[in-house]
Amino acid sequence: MFIGGKLLKLVALLVSVYICASSALHAADDQARQVLVDLVLAEDDAATQASLDKLGELGDEVIGQFVAAWRVGQVFVDEKNGGPVVLMQVGEGKYENLLTGASAAMSADAKIDRASRKLRKDLRRIVDLLDLKSPDYKKRIAAADKLGKTQNEEYLPELRELAAKQTDKKVKRAFDEAVAISELKNGNEDQLLSAVIELGELRSFGARDYIESVYQDAQQADEKNTSLIKSCETSLRLIDERQKMLDFASTLFRGLSTGSVLLLVAYGLAITFGQMGVINMAHGEFIAIGGYTVYLVQNFFIANYGVDSDVYGWYFAVSLPAAFIVSALAGALLEKGLIQFLYKRPLESLLATWAVSMVMQQAFRLKFGAANVSVSTPEWLSGSYDFFGVLMSYNRLSLIVFAILVVVVTRLLLSKTSWGLHVRATMQNRQMASSLGVPSARVNMLTFAFGSGLAGLAGAFLSQIGNVGPSMGQTYIVDSFMVVVVGGVGNLIGAAISSLGIGMIDQGLQPLLGPVMGKITVLFLIIIFLQFKPGGLFPARSRSLDD
Amino acid sequence: MNNRLLPFDTIGEKIALAVLAIFVVIFPLMNTLFPADSALHITTFQLSVWGKYLCYAVLAISLNFLWGYTGLLCLGQCLFFALGGYAFGMYLMLMIGDLGAYGTSLPDFMVFLGYSELPVHWKPFYNPWFAVFAAMWVPGLVAFVFGMLAFRSRIKGVYFSILTQALTYAAALLFFRNDFTFGGNNGFTDFKFIFGHDIREASVSRALFWASGFLLIGVYYLIAYLLKSKFGLVQRAIRDSENRVRFSGYSTTHYKVFIFVVSAMIAGLAGALYVPQAGIINPSEMWPTKGLDIVVWVAVGGRGSKFGPIIGAVLINLLKSYTTRVYPESWLIILGLVFLLVVLFMPNGVVGLWDQVKAWIQSRKADPPATVEPQLAVENES
Amino acid sequence: MKKVSSMLKVTLAAGASTMMAVGAMQAEEEKVKVGVLHSLSGTMAISETSLRDVLLFTFDEINSNGGVLGKQIEPVVVDGASDWPLFAEKAEQLLVQDKVAATFGCWTSVSRKSVLPVYEKYNGLLFYPVQYEGEEMSPNIFYTAEAVNQQAIPAVDFLLEEGYKKFYLIGTDYVYPQTTNLVLFEYLQSKGVPVENIGGGLRKDSAGAVISAGNYTPFGHSDFQQIVADIRKFASSGDACVINTINGDANVPFFKEFAASGLTSEDCPVVSFSLSEDEFRSLPSKDLVGHLGCWTYFMSIDSDANKKFIADFNAWLGKTNVPGIVKENRVTCSPMVLSYDGVYLWKAAVEKAGTFDPVKVMQALESGVSFDGPGGTVTSQSNHHLTKTVYIGETLENGQFSIIEEIKDVVGEPFLKGTFSK
Repeated sequence: MFIGGKLLKLVALLVSVYICASSALHAADDQARQVLVDLVLAEDDAATQASLDKLGELGDEVIGQFVAAWRVGQVFVDEKNGGPVVLMQVGEGKYENLLTGASAAMSADAKIDRASRKLRKDLRRIVDLLDLKSPDYKKRIAAADKLGKTQNEEYLPELRELAAKQTDKKVKRAFDEAVAISELKNGNEDQLLSAVIELGELRSFGARDYIESVYQDAQQADEKNTSLIKSCETSLRLIDERQKMLDFASTLFRGLSTGSVLLLVAYGLAITFGQMGVINMAHGEFIAIGGYTVYLVQNFFIANYGVDSDVYGWYFAVSLPAAFIVSALAGALLEKGLIQFLYKRPLESLLATWAVSMVMQQAFRLKFGAANVSVSTPEWLSGSYDFFGVLMSYNRLSLIVFAILVVVVTRLLLSKTSWGLHVRATMQNRQMASSLGVPSARVNMLTFAFGSGLAGLAGAFLSQIGNVGPSMGQTYIVDSFMVVVVGGVGNLIGAAISSLGIGMIDQGLQPLLGPVMGKITVLFLIIIFLQFKPGGLFPARSRSLDD
Repeated sequence: MNNRLLPFDTIGEKIALAVLAIFVVIFPLMNTLFPADSALHITTFQLSVWGKYLCYAVLAISLNFLWGYTGLLCLGQCLFFALGGYAFGMYLMLMIGDLGAYGTSLPDFMVFLGYSELPVHWKPFYNPWFAVFAAMWVPGLVAFVFGMLAFRSRIKGVYFSILTQALTYAAALLFFRNDFTFGGNNGFTDFKFIFGHDIREASVSRALFWASGFLLIGVYYLIAYLLKSKFGLVQRAIRDSENRVRFSGYSTTHYKVFIFVVSAMIAGLAGALYVPQAGIINPSEMWPTKGLDIVVWVAVGGRGSKFGPIIGAVLINLLKSYTTRVYPESWLIILGLVFLLVVLFMPNGVVGLWDQVKAWIQSRKADPPATVEPQLAVENES
Repeated sequence: MKKVSSMLKVTLAAGASTMMAVGAMQAEEEKVKVGVLHSLSGTMAISETSLRDVLLFTFDEINSNGGVLGKQIEPVVVDGASDWPLFAEKAEQLLVQDKVAATFGCWTSVSRKSVLPVYEKYNGLLFYPVQYEGEEMSPNIFYTAEAVNQQAIPAVDFLLEEGYKKFYLIGTDYVYPQTTNLVLFEYLQSKGVPVENIGGGLRKDSAGAVISAGNYTPFGHSDFQQIVADIRKFASSGDACVINTINGDANVPFFKEFAASGLTSEDCPVVSFSLSEDEFRSLPSKDLVGHLGCWTYFMSIDSDANKKFIADFNAWLGKTNVPGIVKENRVTCSPMVLSYDGVYLWKAAVEKAGTFDPVKVMQALESGVSFDGPGGTVTSQSNHHLTKTVYIGETLENGQFSIIEEIKDVVGEPFLKGTFSK
């Protein structure tokens, strides 16, 4: 292809020039800035190309920074003050003049400048080559990975040379992997064989497809190279074995995280339904209240501090207690206004709360609009942690930690406080407790409010991994009841264990059956499980026959 | 004992039933006898809407039989209704013949999913009577298997309710799958012929209305008959105290399974008649919220009463039809508030209102005010 | 006695329905009624409410410019409530009781399938505005929607041109994604992409024919950990992209998971067909820069017609008092503009035919009428679809799309399956 050919030539040029000029790298800062400004302001393809050509000769830090900023719309052209000035955003609300590097103010007329997709692609290559020598080891790894997978022989000498220089184990590994993947295509017979063996030893997942194609070619070749075929098979087996282990570990983590979501959404219900016997079909709407509270707190922060302020990132921390309190208040209101009349009629509480749920859903629609609202993820919850190849995103990790906290705190509250004692007494026998002086009306209200508050907290966390909208709670309502019933109605620890179990089974089945059949199977398993343990994992013990 | 073949309690009930029968007979006639511009003319649209209400009423009766008289709150009654609908829908799909978008004898969705021939389990459904029969035994079989499992292990009360909800949820997910050979999310639509007649003819609408109406009356009679019999006594005894019945030597499990199966078959028949009138069946009919809807109909009408479910189903659906047209933005709120009022202030539903008013008047006359409360406490033990 | 009251109820209810019929017969002379049939409650309200809004705006705009054939448009809004049998009932009500001249409505395929026989029975006229799987051409429905060849095919062409070699198919388990992916599966193979480079899994029937390609989730799925992990694995060898037909708001958990896993559009871009500016509002757009979308309209189109449309719509939102309308931060998107175009095409066709009679209007549409809409000129075709401009856009940090390719005058073609395999 034309574009491809041009790009190759360009890159070839870059590589040679780049290697020659590497000694003079850091002196070129000013020149690089000038070229970047030219690139932004270039009016035709020829000018763009010329700037691109020049850019390759200058390996400078600022280029990488600029390209990253350009991609996300943080480069502006300000036509004010005579000629056009190119500005680059360097922090929240801070800009610098690209040409001088000095910080600058931006006028209201400044317009975002965007690179075309093709230009960005060309730039990406240049940056990758630069990044190979970046002081940031993460960038070096990413660059080596990408350049290796192009299997372009132009990069091979450079990669080899740099691979020898790497001292850090992780980085060295990435470079070796890149060299080997490239050699799969560009190496001679011996290099090919050793690359296959090496990649197998490295258990390189990224190389699997490349080895596979070498393997296919080798098998179809007229002259069978048996040692190559053999080592391909060995390497593929090694990689697959590691992949299996990793899949297993990842599935465990995912099961844990799904279990935590289930636990969070079901724990409030385990209290209102399990402890109090109220079949609260509006439980899902309390989850939604939590989600909307996060949204409102976020908007409050945006309105008062702005998205770019340092405080903004903490909106989520503030919204957690807010979500709890708002939902708890709504719960208290519902208990006072409705539920308290229905304690003798549990099935009617189902109907009444179902009606409440209908009303609340439509009220959300009328208040916030039918569409979902946007809740952003704060900086400190985005990204993920690579734990020996198992990727754990921070929001999932925090979810797990939080689920554990909820269980522990609830447990402590119920067993160590006098309120907890009252709750347990009231739940065992409402009339008896009340005649012994327990303020049962108040206890009921507080317990229901606590359960609703937990639902609100769950909603707050769900805002980080899913939708916030009028029907967000509906997604979880059936699952929540399952968790409580499987755990044993009235048993909080049972609910915790059952949510973990259901989460694990769900995630374990998904790779085998796909998400839909996985879910169906889980539901049938639950139905069958309850045939054998009709009272759930931890049935409530009672001497009464008709409980 | 009364005459066994006339198992009715009061004069009022007999009159109400007679009015219902007259309505069922007359209403479709108003479609043909009066010209289109007459004030008494009933359009085929109204006919099919009311025909659907009658099917809903049958469905509500089937749930009431289970919940009101046996104390088993099934949140998955919509599943049996939908299964019946699917069974008859299969027949209707096959009757489309080569009038579909692709002009082949296969249903359209099978063609674009790449099927080359009709799956074996579809073949018997060319016969309408097999389809009607299947609309009964498929839900019946599901109810039998589930009921055997659930009642033998003595699952009851809320557990039973939530399990039935899980069952219908799982079934809905299964039917949503395209490769389950039931049309996936789109389900069955665009029916053309029924028993050899064009489904769009007014006479077909009338016939379907009559069929629904007579099914309703028949089911009403069947249940009234059962209630009068010894069977009905055991049934209500199970509701009020299952263990005492068991200790008296009755196998409550068998009773409950039987009731569950009968109720599912009735729901299935209602579904079979509903589908040609609604023009569509898809898995969202099995979605758990639909199951709750039916519970609400029965509760609003008055559970444990023979006419309650009919009134509840018709009233609420009439209200829904009306409000979705007149208050499209806020009808859910209106409907929700109506439910709330009924649950809070009319524990016996709309049909209980009369008794409530009477009790209230009496309590004002009598010195120590009597309340309705004790009666409630017994009924709601489950 | 107890049962007398119940009897009363039955008679009363029967009476009420008769009265409803009488009231509806008094049609007004200077006005023409049109139906708006969307879900304003239930699961689909998320997407469909915006279409109600834009339709009401369009009617007001036309009315203030003199109406259609001198008559003012009187919209009849009904709620389909995401309940498919109710859709059929409401459609019949619109046609029989309100006697609407045309209906604008439906979003999901199942709702369209549900009302289709009703429109054919009463010879009504329905305008359907949302991208769909094709394989249908009712004489009584006009599809302003994007057909598969106006969305998926151009997008895949673009990706192939960009040099992507591996394609992961993912969608919600219903007819649109399944059909689109089957078509794409054929198309990709016809372009020389080997089967092992098409990810997401295949299902075959007993005869070995592929009946489903791609990875599917239930409606409203919220846990995409497994799928994103699978995509990571698939993309680890580079040059991979994802073709996403996940429905509406289930995209939010998917993209949140995608962003959290550290995948970026540089490693593996996602091209989405059911994700417009409207859904994008609730996504962390900063983490999703550089993913792709393909529609026949983007809000960012730089034309006077589009700017005027957006400005007028926002001005209307400021004035309107329809309950439940969100007035701030509104965006416009393809289904909204195709609804808007539909109304104007209907107006043009009515004026061409000189009557509101649906049959004649449809004939006028079949003969070809044009409208210069916000997304460029659209022209009706004899096969009840539209010729229009297809845009490929790239997501920006502000939730908008920047247009990177524009393909003019793409003819809508509903029947595609099987056309590439030969």
